[in-house]
Amino acid sequence: MELLIKNGAVVDPVNGNKGDKTDISIKDGKIVKTVSSKATIIDAGGRLVMAGGVDAHSHIAGAKVNVGRMMRPEDSRSGISPRTKITRPCTGYTVPNVYAMGYRYAQMGYTTVFEAAQAIMKARHTHEELEEIPIIDKGALTLFGSNWPTMDFVREKDMDKLAAYVSWGLLASRGFGVKCVNPGGGEMWGFGKNVTGIDDVVPGFDVTPKEIIVSLMKVNEMLGLPHSVHLHCNNLGNPGNYKTTLASMELANQVKASKKRQVMHVTHLLFNSWGGTNWGDFESKADEVANFLNNHKNVTGDMGQMIFGSATTMTADGPKQYANAKLLHAKWSNGDVELEDASGVVPIYYVKQISVHAIMWAIGLELALLTKDPYQMLLTTDHPNGGPFVNYSEVIALLMSNKKRQEEIKTVHEAVHAKNKLPGLDRELDFSEIAIMTRAGTAKVLGLLDTKGHLGVGADADISIYDIKPDQIDPTVEHAKIKSAFSSAAYTIKGGNVVVKDGQITATPLGRTYWVDAKVPQQHHDEMMKDIVKKFKNYYSMQLANYMVQDEYLTHQQVVKAGIIPAEVN
Amino acid sequence: MQTVTLKPKKEIKISVEGENISADIFSGKTEKEIHALVAWMGNQKTTIGELFSVKVEGSGPAADTKIILEGDFSRVKRIGEGMTAGLILITGNVDMHLGAKMSGGKISVKGNVDSWAGREMKGGELIIEGNAAYYLGAGYRGESCGMRGGKITVMGNALDFVGEHMCGGEIIVKGNTGILPGLSNNGGKIVIGGNTSRPGSEMSKGTIIVNGKVEEMMPVFKLEGDEIVDGVTYKKYTGDVIGNGKGLLYVK
Repeated sequence: MELLIKNGAVVDPVNGNKGDKTDISIKDGKIVKTVSSKATIIDAGGRLVMAGGVDAHSHIAGAKVNVGRMMRPEDSRSGISPRTKITRPCTGYTVPNVYAMGYRYAQMGYTTVFEAAQAIMKARHTHEELEEIPIIDKGALTLFGSNWPTMDFVREKDMDKLAAYVSWGLLASRGFGVKCVNPGGGEMWGFGKNVTGIDDVVPGFDVTPKEIIVSLMKVNEMLGLPHSVHLHCNNLGNPGNYKTTLASMELANQVKASKKRQVMHVTHLLFNSWGGTNWGDFESKADEVANFLNNHKNVTGDMGQMIFGSATTMTADGPKQYANAKLLHAKWSNGDVELEDASGVVPIYYVKQISVHAIMWAIGLELALLTKDPYQMLLTTDHPNGGPFVNYSEVIALLMSNKKRQEEIKTVHEAVHAKNKLPGLDRELDFSEIAIMTRAGTAKVLGLLDTKGHLGVGADADISIYDIKPDQIDPTVEHAKIKSAFSSAAYTIKGGNVVVKDGQITATPLGRTYWVDAKVPQQHHDEMMKDIVKKFKNYYSMQLANYMVQDEYLTHQQVVKAGIIPAEVN
Repeated sequence: MQTVTLKPKKEIKISVEGENISADIFSGKTEKEIHALVAWMGNQKTTIGELFSVKVEGSGPAADTKIILEGDFSRVKRIGEGMTAGLILITGNVDMHLGAKMSGGKISVKGNVDSWAGREMKGGELIIEGNAAYYLGAGYRGESCGMRGGKITVMGNALDFVGEHMCGGEIIVKGNTGILPGLSNNGGKIVIGGNTSRPGSEMSKGTIIVNGKVEEMMPVFKLEGDEIVDGVTYKKYTGDVIGNGKGLLYVK
């Protein structure tokens, strides 16, 4: 099938297009140079055209998400819409049902979303949900930070075995990359404790979070994985944690990237850029974190922007969630994934007039405005921890308009004036920078820039058209129009199919699931498996034979090949 | 002034979703317009006109609208849901969720109400001359705040979990209540005229006054001594001490 998008104001930073009228030709799901005269024509009429949105960090599928649904029936009551001829019924706001995940992302013009954390043992559940999420392409990052085999191999300093374990873990979970959450903390939570910094020793394993992070980065680059290590820092959510964050980011200098991308992606930095020593003197250190990023090109981050209102915090950071539940007197769910991880789910309501919440809200925006290179600070809300992803348009409007920010600042707790730099920041992002934070940058950080995040020839025909004419709008003033346009795409095209028109779903093809097949030398694999077999025999409650996610769970898989890089290339 | 009278045309055996029966929705509408309003019966989409005979006299804003429900409404749920003003008079019994989420106006019931009456109510008044079933003025599943404001008066008895997760407002039950009134309370006031059992566990704020007999006390309250409230001497308790709660429980 051929498609031609005419008269679009194309914003495509990768190919240097800043809103010029360019036609885009599509054939068989890819962007091509030209199409025949038989092509169906979409007249963009001077409206904004961008590549389909790419989200590098969102909790859309898996055990935690489902626990959130189960413990929040009140959330399911919001966002209810009945089935139509095309779509299935939707429920929920912070923890929508699987169908709503796909529809709502597509309605915003997003076409690719990565689930940010799956434990290997729970991966089957993740893929069962991914299989049911319509339209979007997706994948899941696999947790390795507190796994017993990881810590064993780190202690033994056996990088070959660790690489073999990561390679096998990605296969077992059909995962796309290495996620590392509060390394060591998940294990210590099993004993009711937590690590307080990157130099604490994890009892029983005799390793430190620092060693875990560096080792995982090393093997990530040994394997040449498309994405870098994706780190959720230790000490998250504690005042004064920016020091831990800076010390963790500093570790990136110890490893060289195997690809043209960062070696470490530090996620939801909003929750990691905190100064002060308690909730009383709590303050923003976003400037310090942004300053670090400005001087270190080998690290990237994402905002994890907070949205006022209802949110559901869910993370593999079990100990943090216990602390949250105690602090908030909220519902709490705790998960233990045997040898691999802990997890927790706690609902939260962010209130404008609570000083800590107001300061947090401002931190996210500061991170985006103070980080000079938008390729280093991606737009996320750490859905649904900071807030549901449907609010991305609100974040975009805030970043593009100082006027909107000043209006908002008037409505939030006055603490932002003393504890944040935000009131004095007048940077206003343009469409190109927004395209980088939501498309080009996210695709680059994930290592998918060849086919995602841009509109050059050869890219996937994932395109969004928004109902704004960039040459006729001043986003700094008309922020309401920006918000409304980005919340509901005029067109979303996924793989060459029109899936959304005027904000309504028109088709629901099933997207692909990305995972990485990273090969290691057979003897490394065999050596590593001896340990794994022992672990299963002695500790796991399930059989090794039942552990691997089979092909049946991935009806539309997209395998990305990687593996130990041959010496001559190195 | 607008008066709308509804009467079931025949016996209703399958429950009807009556969220469109409210002064806000009926006000200013003609008989024909009210006839056309949707009312789901089980899984069948039907209209108010098909189920009820409708008589409209006059026209007016919601605050000046009176709805009279005559006959058997015991299988009609969600009457007056989200209502902000006006008056509903019910001569018989009604099904679940009466006045749920209402923020203003008044609903008066001569008969009995089923569970979840006044659920998550924000304001207005609910007067029940008969009995109430479970979860009167409570929060629905998962909700951390039940009733937030307004007043519910029950002349008869109520069953279990009166005012669960209540955050504000007032509930008065003249008769007895079932177990655990004021469970997980976070504000508001519950006054029970008759007997109850295990009031107020997991309470963090709010007040419960029991004028009858408490069959069983939860062992999570601390006796603070006697106190006179409105001229009556009660034993005053605070709790739930396990959650460091600041709830007040007065027992005669």
